[in-house]
Amino acid sequence: MFNTNKYVLTVLAIGLSLTACKKEESELNPGTGTPTDGSKVKFIISATPVGSQGVADYLLTADTLTKGTVSTKGSGIEQDGTYRYYVTHKNRFFSLLYGQGNPGAVTTYVVNSAGKLEKVSDFQAETVQVFAPMKDDVVTVKVPRSGNESASFYRIQAESSKIVGEAQVNIVQLAGNGERAHFTWATQVGDKLFAPYMSIKGVAPDGFGTSYPDSAWVAVLSYPDLKVEKVIKDNRTSFIGRYFTDGLAVDEQGDTYAFSSGVATSSSKLTSTKPSAITRIKSGTTEFDKTYLFNVEQASGGYNLTTQLYVGQGNFILTMTSAAEKGAYAVGKKLAVVNVYNQTFKWVDGLPAVSEITQLAGRNNYSPKDGKTGFIGLTLTDGASYIYQVDASTAKATRGLKVDGGTIQAISTLTYK
Amino acid sequence: MPLRKLLYTGLVCMLSYLAHAQSTGALRGRIVSEEGDQLMGVTVMLAGTSKGINTDESGNFQLDNLSPGTHTLTASFVGYQTQQKTVTVKSGETLRHNFRLVSSTQQLETVSVIGRSEAKEVCRQAFNVTAIDATKLHNSTLDLSHALDRVSGVRVRESGGVGSNFNFSLNGFTGRQVKFFIDGIPMDNFGSSFQLNNIPINLAERVEVYKGVVPIWLGSDALGGAVNIVTGNRQRNYLDASYSYGSFNTHRTAVNAGVTTKSGFTVQLNAFQNYSNNNYWVTVDVADINTGEYFRNQRVRRFHDTYRNETIVATVGVVGKRFADKLLFGITLGQNRAEIQTGARMVSVFGDWYRRGNIVMPSVRYQKDNLLIKGLNVRLTGNFNLGQEQNVDTVYRRYNWFQQYKQYPGKGSERERSLYKFRNNNGLVTANVSYQISEKQALSINNVFNTFNRTGSDELNPTSANYEQPRVNTKNVLGIGYKYDYSERWNTSLFIKHFSQNNKYGITYNPSGTYGDVAYMTQKNGFNQLGYGIATSFFLQKNLQLKASFEKSYRLPETDELYGDLLNLEGNINLKPETSRNYNLGFSYLTNLAKVHRFSFAGNVLYRDAQGFIRPRLNNNQTKQVMDNLADVTNLGFDGEIRYSYRQFLTVGTNLTYQNLRNNTRYEDGYTTESPLFRDRIPNMPFLFGNADASLFLRNVGGQGNTLSVGYNLLYVHAYYLYWPSLGQDKLDIPEQLAHDVNLVYALAGGKYNIGFECKNVLDSKLYDNFSLQKPSRGFYVKLRYFVGK
Repeated sequence: MFNTNKYVLTVLAIGLSLTACKKEESELNPGTGTPTDGSKVKFIISATPVGSQGVADYLLTADTLTKGTVSTKGSGIEQDGTYRYYVTHKNRFFSLLYGQGNPGAVTTYVVNSAGKLEKVSDFQAETVQVFAPMKDDVVTVKVPRSGNESASFYRIQAESSKIVGEAQVNIVQLAGNGERAHFTWATQVGDKLFAPYMSIKGVAPDGFGTSYPDSAWVAVLSYPDLKVEKVIKDNRTSFIGRYFTDGLAVDEQGDTYAFSSGVATSSSKLTSTKPSAITRIKSGTTEFDKTYLFNVEQASGGYNLTTQLYVGQGNFILTMTSAAEKGAYAVGKKLAVVNVYNQTFKWVDGLPAVSEITQLAGRNNYSPKDGKTGFIGLTLTDGASYIYQVDASTAKATRGLKVDGGTIQAISTLTYK
Repeated sequence: MPLRKLLYTGLVCMLSYLAHAQSTGALRGRIVSEEGDQLMGVTVMLAGTSKGINTDESGNFQLDNLSPGTHTLTASFVGYQTQQKTVTVKSGETLRHNFRLVSSTQQLETVSVIGRSEAKEVCRQAFNVTAIDATKLHNSTLDLSHALDRVSGVRVRESGGVGSNFNFSLNGFTGRQVKFFIDGIPMDNFGSSFQLNNIPINLAERVEVYKGVVPIWLGSDALGGAVNIVTGNRQRNYLDASYSYGSFNTHRTAVNAGVTTKSGFTVQLNAFQNYSNNNYWVTVDVADINTGEYFRNQRVRRFHDTYRNETIVATVGVVGKRFADKLLFGITLGQNRAEIQTGARMVSVFGDWYRRGNIVMPSVRYQKDNLLIKGLNVRLTGNFNLGQEQNVDTVYRRYNWFQQYKQYPGKGSERERSLYKFRNNNGLVTANVSYQISEKQALSINNVFNTFNRTGSDELNPTSANYEQPRVNTKNVLGIGYKYDYSERWNTSLFIKHFSQNNKYGITYNPSGTYGDVAYMTQKNGFNQLGYGIATSFFLQKNLQLKASFEKSYRLPETDELYGDLLNLEGNINLKPETSRNYNLGFSYLTNLAKVHRFSFAGNVLYRDAQGFIRPRLNNNQTKQVMDNLADVTNLGFDGEIRYSYRQFLTVGTNLTYQNLRNNTRYEDGYTTESPLFRDRIPNMPFLFGNADASLFLRNVGGQGNTLSVGYNLLYVHAYYLYWPSLGQDKLDIPEQLAHDVNLVYALAGGKYNIGFECKNVLDSKLYDNFSLQKPSRGFYVKLRYFVGK
């Protein structure tokens, strides 16, 4: 359900540089199958049927996102349940569970030479709240919301589908304010892993509430030993990212942009006094750039950003909520294009009216990072789902691939020969 | 609905048909065998009239409202020669006539098969009911849930061995949609120490399964049926003690004893115990403790699944007094501890987490027939459960199936760190008043009142204010029923049930507007609903019965659905009751060939149209489940049973259930067009299943009065999909189950001493009721039982 858009390596494989992929052809663990990196592209759409019980996700494949129809009716690889999460790295597709705190099986797929998804491995993993490509690994983080005081970081080597390292971070000590540091996501920035967090009480009944709604924190972790080296803080915004949502993006210059929705709560009431805004951490530094603040709330006329998709060259596609819709878990149904370099803001045209949209996949959308194109999954009230192609240069959206019988959870891509 | 209109019209006609009051007389008596044994189930008829009755467990009968004059009274019973007496009924008097029946040797051979026991008598009601004669299973090692699994329409799905979680489904209704009763008292609030998965079969005399339509005297908000466990004892003084031992270090003991003195003082004691390591063999992919890599298809033993419980039910009181037929005071004391081996999938394995609970429940029962006026019968019961439940997960480890573990530093857990302990403070009062208006008409009123006040605390988290918030509710179910016995061939019951529920709960708010300031506000809500139903039965011939019944039923949300369990379930105070329209149509037919080959056939067609099923979904940050009114479901199903017996030597039977559960949610929330899953088969529900059994009885083996019996039982469940059938490829399923059990029972001295051997899962098949959760491998059990009573 979450961003693949940051997974730079995957994206490079398709959009920009095929040579980048070719470096990966060797060193595969025997018996786990060989991804056939190549010039052909296969898109994987993870779809969840609309139903009230007994629902599983299905993996559908398509050669293009701009036209055609795929359907869950009698097709698609059935996953064990829904609330699963998908990430691609090293030309492999990982289907992770969200097991309500239970450990369970993660399944790895590749696209074989026939262009079909093929299961190559499964392995045991914990229920995690964060999963992100980091060097050769997928880093996952299990963040306890109460009780346990340590978050567990795991390094899953993508090629072998094995856990190769594990580390504990005491989140109560990390927060240092009597609350808990709840990691929203993690992103590779240079050699480091940047993990923004929200401060939460972690005590029922207000487990996700906080008394510290007006600060942003990013933990800087070393790699591969996953030690917290530093926490960087900024009081100009509320926390970065959201529960289960990526709030950092690295541009072509290596600068990191941080996205805050301003949705900290206490007793289910929004309490942050800070605007929804974008801040920056310059390449090579581990401090917020005090000279940079893009007040998106102001630029949009009172809207809050909820998720972001980087399409390259400083352009982002944001989902936006109105002041009335604003909430800690709400995903906006309006799209906007911003350029973080010159701080421009444009609403996207060509989308269905908000009232016709049931669900917009705010996370786990896809961009080839060409500087303008993003693909966003939408489900309409008539039950049909479509992938919309958004052109950031013109702020126009056009309807593409139709997905029958399901909401779109993730748009991913793998290559094959 | 025209049918309802017709029936209503019928009722009005019947009411206008009220019999005139006139002076009448009565007859009573006792029927015994040549040996002096009291005979139960003997049919006593007044020749030339439709008046008749069966004798009760003491062999007694009473016929009321007889017109004065000379009549012929006949007593007939299978296996005995029919007797007739000429009697005179006198106005205002009750005359006594006893019978001593002489056995007919030729017919005796079939007594055990066709002689109608009380269990069979229950089945003759107009309701769609199946009764299990539990006494026939007293030499087996079954607990109640496994005995119920052999009833058509019923599927009990288990997650493991002794004491494991089970999911009871009746005609497609599951979980709380089916209610359980013990001697007519709802068991909802008994906690984990006194449940179907630990109550031994020996506690029960019979178990009644009401499908879809529940009589009002079982007062509760059952959506799709009810199970009533009847513990009544036939004897005044008895002792039934048994012990069984078997595979996986399984020990079970049950002692039931009772003494009733001549003066009517009575003491009864039921005590039972279960213990099992449940360390049966499973085949599973074992994860490397460090890398997560799977070692495929390893055969390993379960290692953290020990279950034990000990429960005592003690009752003391008086019977047969002028002021009370029964006045009994009781207490139920029990405890259980269950280790938790796996999560929802077998690959998630635990090694330290456990839960425990206890029950401390005082109770009282008062019963008086003909109170003040003749025909006015009153029953009152009350109980209060002071028991606690606790979840203990404080060891910060991760295990794998090789019993290796990683120990982590600091405060942690295997799943969710908790020592949360709670008490539900459940109180229950039931009142049942019935009045025989006339010989053909009876009126009854039943009321069940429930209170609930959850209090809890977690020593790990002593300051959490949530636990101090009010979570109180009261529930009341009032039923009024009317029964009309037109003749012995036709009777009809009509009933209305009124459901009401009041909830009081706390919500958080911010009183000052400054952040960090939290206060709690008490909110109230509640609802009232009216349900109704009818059941009618008609005997086309003496051996061919037709039944039809209907109920508009409701189930009120349970307390943890409303308030959450503070662990994995979040509360949803806005839940609405589930509702269903349940229709049944059935027949039963008995016949024989040359009186030695006996056949019985029974079949039912049913239809269920249910709305607003309460189902779990994940809350909006996906950290807990929350219950919601999500699904509409229909079920058109049938079940059938055929039994055959040859003399007293052989009995063979089979039943089969088919249920066509379909998703009837046409529009999902937030969508304007028909759901693609509309009318698809409900996934993860067995839809075709059945049982077959055969028993051989060898009399006088190794001595006069000793019986050796050999039995076989087969369970069949068709494979079914885990997720929606119409979607996707490479689908996950729960494979077909074929389970064979065999048993051998040797009963000595007319059943005083019994030795039973059993082998369950003879072929050591891999059996699954739930996706990936393997049920016990082959096991052997022996049971010793001593029984004496008079």
